[in-house]
Amino acid sequence: MKRVKNAHFGQWIDPSQTIQFTFEGGLVQGVEGDTVASALLANGQWVQSRSFKYHRPRGPLTLCGYDANTLVQTPVAPNLLADRLPAEDHLAVTAQNYTGSLHFDLSRLLDWFGRFLPVGFYYKAFFKPRGIWAWWEPIVRKTAGLGISNLSVKAPYNDKTYAFADVAVIGAGPAGLNAALLAANAGAQVTLVEQEPRLGGSMNYHAFEGNYETTKSARDALVAAIEAHENIDVLCSSTCNAWFGDHYLPIIQKSRLIKLRAKQTILTTGSSEQHVVFRNNDLPGVVMCSALDRLMRLYGVVPSAPVVVLAGNDLAYRTAFSSQDGGANVAAIVDLRTTYNDPALSDEAKRRGIALFQGCGIYEATQGLFSHGLSQVDVHKLDERGEVAEKLVSIDCGLLAMSAGFMPSYQLACQAGAVLSYDDSTSQFQLSNLPQGMHLAGSVNSVFSLDLVEADGRNAARQALSNLGIAPDSETGSAEDVNFTEQVNHPWPFLKHPKGREFVDFDEDLQIKDIINAARMGYRDIQLVKRFSTVGMGPSQGRHSALPTARLVAKTTDRTVHETGVTTARPPLMPEPLGLLAGRRFHPLRRTPLHHRHIGLGAQMTPAGSWQRPAYYGDPVQRTACIQAEVRAVRQGVGIIDVSTLGGIELRGSDAPEFMNRLYTFGFVKQPIGKTRYAVLTNEQGVVADDGVAARLGEYHYYVTATSSGVDRVYRDMLRWNAQWRLDLDIANVTSAFSAINVAGPLSRQVIESVDCSVDLSAQHFPYLAYQEASVAGIPARMMRVGFVGELGYELHVPSPLMGELWDRLLTSGKAHGIRPFGVEAQRLLRLEKGHIIIGQDTDGMTQPDEVSLRWAISSKKPFFVGSKSVDILSKSPLERQLVGFELGATSPQPKEGHLVIRNGHIVGSVTSCEYSPTLNKIIGLAYVHPEDAVPGTTVVIRTDDAVHAHARVVKTPFYDPDNLRQAL
Amino acid sequence: MSVHLDHIFESPLRGLSHEGDISIHDLTNRHRWGLRGQGAAEALRIQGWDLPEQPNRLVASINQSFVMALSQREFWVLDPHNDAADLAMGNDFTTDAYPLFCQSSHAWLVLKGSETSALMAKLCSVDLRPDAFNLGDVAQTQMALINCIVVRHDLAGDDVFSIFVDQSYAEYALEALLDARQEFL
Amino acid sequence: MKIMTCPLNGPRNISEFVYGGQVKAMPDHQNVSDTDWAHHVFYEKNDVGIVLEWWMHSPSSFWFIAERHNATDEIIRTYPADQLFKQRVDFVANEGES
Repeated sequence: MKRVKNAHFGQWIDPSQTIQFTFEGGLVQGVEGDTVASALLANGQWVQSRSFKYHRPRGPLTLCGYDANTLVQTPVAPNLLADRLPAEDHLAVTAQNYTGSLHFDLSRLLDWFGRFLPVGFYYKAFFKPRGIWAWWEPIVRKTAGLGISNLSVKAPYNDKTYAFADVAVIGAGPAGLNAALLAANAGAQVTLVEQEPRLGGSMNYHAFEGNYETTKSARDALVAAIEAHENIDVLCSSTCNAWFGDHYLPIIQKSRLIKLRAKQTILTTGSSEQHVVFRNNDLPGVVMCSALDRLMRLYGVVPSAPVVVLAGNDLAYRTAFSSQDGGANVAAIVDLRTTYNDPALSDEAKRRGIALFQGCGIYEATQGLFSHGLSQVDVHKLDERGEVAEKLVSIDCGLLAMSAGFMPSYQLACQAGAVLSYDDSTSQFQLSNLPQGMHLAGSVNSVFSLDLVEADGRNAARQALSNLGIAPDSETGSAEDVNFTEQVNHPWPFLKHPKGREFVDFDEDLQIKDIINAARMGYRDIQLVKRFSTVGMGPSQGRHSALPTARLVAKTTDRTVHETGVTTARPPLMPEPLGLLAGRRFHPLRRTPLHHRHIGLGAQMTPAGSWQRPAYYGDPVQRTACIQAEVRAVRQGVGIIDVSTLGGIELRGSDAPEFMNRLYTFGFVKQPIGKTRYAVLTNEQGVVADDGVAARLGEYHYYVTATSSGVDRVYRDMLRWNAQWRLDLDIANVTSAFSAINVAGPLSRQVIESVDCSVDLSAQHFPYLAYQEASVAGIPARMMRVGFVGELGYELHVPSPLMGELWDRLLTSGKAHGIRPFGVEAQRLLRLEKGHIIIGQDTDGMTQPDEVSLRWAISSKKPFFVGSKSVDILSKSPLERQLVGFELGATSPQPKEGHLVIRNGHIVGSVTSCEYSPTLNKIIGLAYVHPEDAVPGTTVVIRTDDAVHAHARVVKTPFYDPDNLRQAL
Repeated sequence: MSVHLDHIFESPLRGLSHEGDISIHDLTNRHRWGLRGQGAAEALRIQGWDLPEQPNRLVASINQSFVMALSQREFWVLDPHNDAADLAMGNDFTTDAYPLFCQSSHAWLVLKGSETSALMAKLCSVDLRPDAFNLGDVAQTQMALINCIVVRHDLAGDDVFSIFVDQSYAEYALEALLDARQEFL
Repeated sequence: MKIMTCPLNGPRNISEFVYGGQVKAMPDHQNVSDTDWAHHVFYEKNDVGIVLEWWMHSPSSFWFIAERHNATDEIIRTYPADQLFKQRVDFVANEGES
């Protein structure tokens, strides 16, 4: 192959700038502007990969990333498309999917055994006898592998951004350029998305009306106007990879995912050129006409071996003439048709000295004796029914360019709900039933000649503008007439060969007989054909296989192509790196105002929902000792814990008491001001949903705590209930406004007194369950005497920005009393010793109040609370389980949360909490048991690790301080 | 209150500024308060405050302060030039105007620079470009998956975004902003 | 991603919203049969057509009503809850409550 660079060829390259990279270890010289594939082709390297199933050598087919024949590997990533991958100095590229070497692939033997690998082979062969797949799988996966992930590569920084547009134009060919320009001129904000590095689409490589000069100057004028336009954002080398609801378009631009929200979408996505199905149509050197155009016009690579063009339409003649103009030796045009749209083309072929075979096809392509590529094609006459007849001639050639027509790039439109219907007169699929705000133009809309494509683009923009409410002006004008009469698709481009290897799907190595057999086996539905044969499942996602498959299945099952249809198009359009989806990941993290103080004190932090909380303080090596020391401090001296994560809800207004009464199970109307009450919330189904402590601050003022994980839901439910009830109150989620600590232990009173507390803390003035507002260390605080850990204790809720100061003051003054911060691990044990349940841990989505002995917290005298009716109904039936306390000797196997409770061989419940209590020197826990076993003294069986049964004794809770004397001190 | 607030008031972001072409400033310790309820608008008007005509708008008002309307009946008064003055405990309310807790509950960040809307587009799905989001516009939305309030306003001659996030997410929000800012430095 | 229009905040990505279930009138809990109550709690309208739903805009905690077609997923309109719930709801007065 040689290179040309002039006004008409080699548009994208700069031969003065050379680039060197390696392919399979060998040095390759390319030029600036090359892709890896074009540089390899310029060096005569046609074989660039091996096929998936038979390991046949493969080379570029489309040269635009629409086939899987160019999947290559770099040190950092597998499965890159060589025809999209820019050639760069020092790049190390390797081929994929071979055993041995690319040119001598040992797995190539699979091709010779191909007749033993019928369609559906994998489903049939590897699953009997049972279990054999485990043996086969690694072998099959290696043979069918698509590259190797390099696990040591550091993930790149993948970015995401939102973007906005009035009009998104997807595809910057002649239709897209015209659409974008007209919409922008009328004042719309336009985003123009193009997969290739440059704008222009087919205008870059196709000689419309046989005139590249005029095509190019039209393209240059449009591109200049667009690049200078302030209303147009141009995104090149960018793929719009899906269409999601309300025109939400994920666009991949290198390592950035752009989430574009458009008001209108214009799809000018073009179409995929279709191949002719004949024997060995997959040989390296057999390409689409557009690929040959691209090779010469964009990269200036001129084939040195003779070229044959296999035409199913007039457009293929343009390719033949273009390549001759560029210096290629065009030996022949083989035209599948007997009649032309434009007889002038055959005259020109003759004038140019190109042999013309009309009403003929290529029956077989032959591989060179010493090369992997094409060396010869056999031209056969076709009879009037299109069947292969006598052989006319064999032609030596190194490149065959074919065009059987075009398939609209329908994927984005169909993802949005559009429908494909087959038009028998044009042998084309056409899109209809577009969703609101979506418009088509150009070859995706079955329009092919340049002036009509451009007009179609402008028409789409007019529709979009009209939907946006932008009135037409003189330039916008009114819709232009676009009639689609051009015949570009050949109706039956199949030349079945008794020896097969006429590929329908190159990705999956599927031949004509595979599709026919699948249909004959009863898989009539195209979706079933796909799943059984894997047609269209490869990386090119049916761009080339969908149309021939539909035609073959239709014929085999005696239906129309329209009835047969194509399989569902789903996102993504192109394979996308998972790293892009993960992107710059957001992990929202909540920190209390004391976060850094905890770290300074050596806390081991643990996640609690989105919060970070201290698990315990100290060296992880001495975890148990640390936790036990914290427990001891609380039981014997004084401890302090950050409970800022507790939810807080403020209820104010004349209906606040009534609202409390309706939401929570207890009675709250007569709750005295300055007192707290335990507050349980059931949902409408009568299930225990949350709990907390309600403090009455004033006649019309309550402050209620909620669980850390439950508060958002409780707050939302409160707002929703009151949107219906319309009671007069304000509901505020003050979780973050207030931070809280709990000072607990026999010495807690002394500690708080020592930091200048404005209220009398004696039991007489501030008894258990009382609430007071006070100034502590000069800081305004809501104080509650609550007993979650079962010792004398005070919970102090203060404005969050002041919490740091309060904590510092208490720790400083508390030093004399041996104050010790404790974490959630110690707190869990302390509360378990008191038998206090944690909603969500000791309850589940089915827990009714009676099961957890909360009947005392339900007022039976209220007319209503949320869940009251359901609780009444549930209480009529006998309980199926009950939560009880149990204990085991200190040396018993220790049950874990979730371990099962077994009764007469049946599962009756499970353990919800279990710890070793150093205070009691026992293992204690809570578990659901059969109600008959809920009597203290009963023995229940818990299945612990390794199926060891532990015989636990049901006991009354609290385990510790059963008369609750300590918390009331 | 017996202790001077300005000594003990702690912002999770410690009042720091992060300079650059886009600068990020912590105004958490600046004064703000709010009222919510049927009578909130009337109560503020009586005190002489100018109110936005519509929800999700902000207006400049007296004392170099701003009044932001989050709904027909919820208003925040933002006073960027003074330190936090009082921390409402929520007790003094009438039954149609309830004081809010925004001084304690939210962190206040200010974003200044020419490409702030491009930066915000990396975190927030609302179109905050100058053409779409006018001076005085307020968006109650999400940023890097957390709830926030974004306001575009003039601050001492600069066109800025004020961002309010739950104070427990303040450090997370700042980390997300600093990360998104990298490419604009 | 779908867009939903919040009556307070305007059109936003659906990810800013929380679904709150279908709008259902609560039967008189004191006179309803257990079966009818269970029906109210557990059953939702499931025939093709327009359903009334609760939605909340999360950043503003604003609850509103959406009319949505459950087959096409088209949101026909959204409006504040007070257009549907205009009256204060009361239950029978408390007696002897503690």
